[in-house]
Amino acid sequence: MAYQLYRNTTLGNSLQESLDELIQSQQITPQLALQVLLQFDKAINLALAQRVRNRVNFRGSLNTYRFCDNVWTFVLNDVEFREVTELVKVDKVKIVACDGKNTGSNTAE
Amino acid sequence: PLTPMTPVTPVNSASESSGIVPQLQNIVSTVNLACKLDLKNIALHARNAEYNPKRFAAVIMRIREPRTTALIFSSGKMVCTGAKSEEQSRLAARKYARVVQKLGFPAKFLDFKIQNMVGSCDVRFPIRLEGLVLTHQHYEPELFPGLIYRMVKPRIVLLIFVSGKVVLTG
Repeated sequence: MAYQLYRNTTLGNSLQESLDELIQSQQITPQLALQVLLQFDKAINLALAQRVRNRVNFRGSLNTYRFCDNVWTFVLNDVEFREVTELVKVDKVKIVACDGKNTGSNTAE
Repeated sequence: PLTPMTPVTPVNSASESSGIVPQLQNIVSTVNLACKLDLKNIALHARNAEYNPKRFAAVIMRIREPRTTALIFSSGKMVCTGAKSEEQSRLAARKYARVVQKLGFPAKFLDFKIQNMVGSCDVRFPIRLEGLVLTHQHYEPELFPGLIYRMVKPRIVLLIFVSGKVVLTG
């Protein structure tokens, strides 16, 4: 099963909100909504892995970190995201990172 | 040549008049919080914590002031490392205990004990290690460039380098 990591993104949240509306108006069942989300997980994981080529660098100061259940969570302050084309500065960014090696696999290393 | 029965300790008398004071680099202490801890709970709620039970059965937590690292075990026992003085080590250990307390565990602060202190200094002149090898020392330059001097009284281990730098621990 692919990471559900991307459900809490602008795209993922929009999808969830739309699905909730459809459930409310009884146009789809909650079970179908769940299936859609699972398909979203697969699609977004695949797309990011295969269709994204560009590289972004970022640098900031570390406020907090956490490592639990093999997931890293960082909060950085005064961060500069640099891509060849442009620069974006933010006061605070939260990064949630899952292991990229064995996406969806349950085998231990 | 000196016989094995006469250990020479030139370091002692020299340091009393030289004014060289070793600087503390690291203190390791332990304390018993005296209650069972749910490590996953702590890792999920405390800041600056790592928990990877497959690799190591403790939560690794850090604070910035005093800059230290703690290893917290499910038994309630804790190790505190990185402080530059005994007082700072105790203060840091108390801070970790408070973090654990705030997460809802009935943490106490039992049997706090300094386990090890590491200091370093510079005698400011080169040392000929080959000349120092008598008893209580190990010097294998192929293995490690420092001479390992296990002083008996006080029970200290010194790492002595040709540069004149000395590390004291134990």
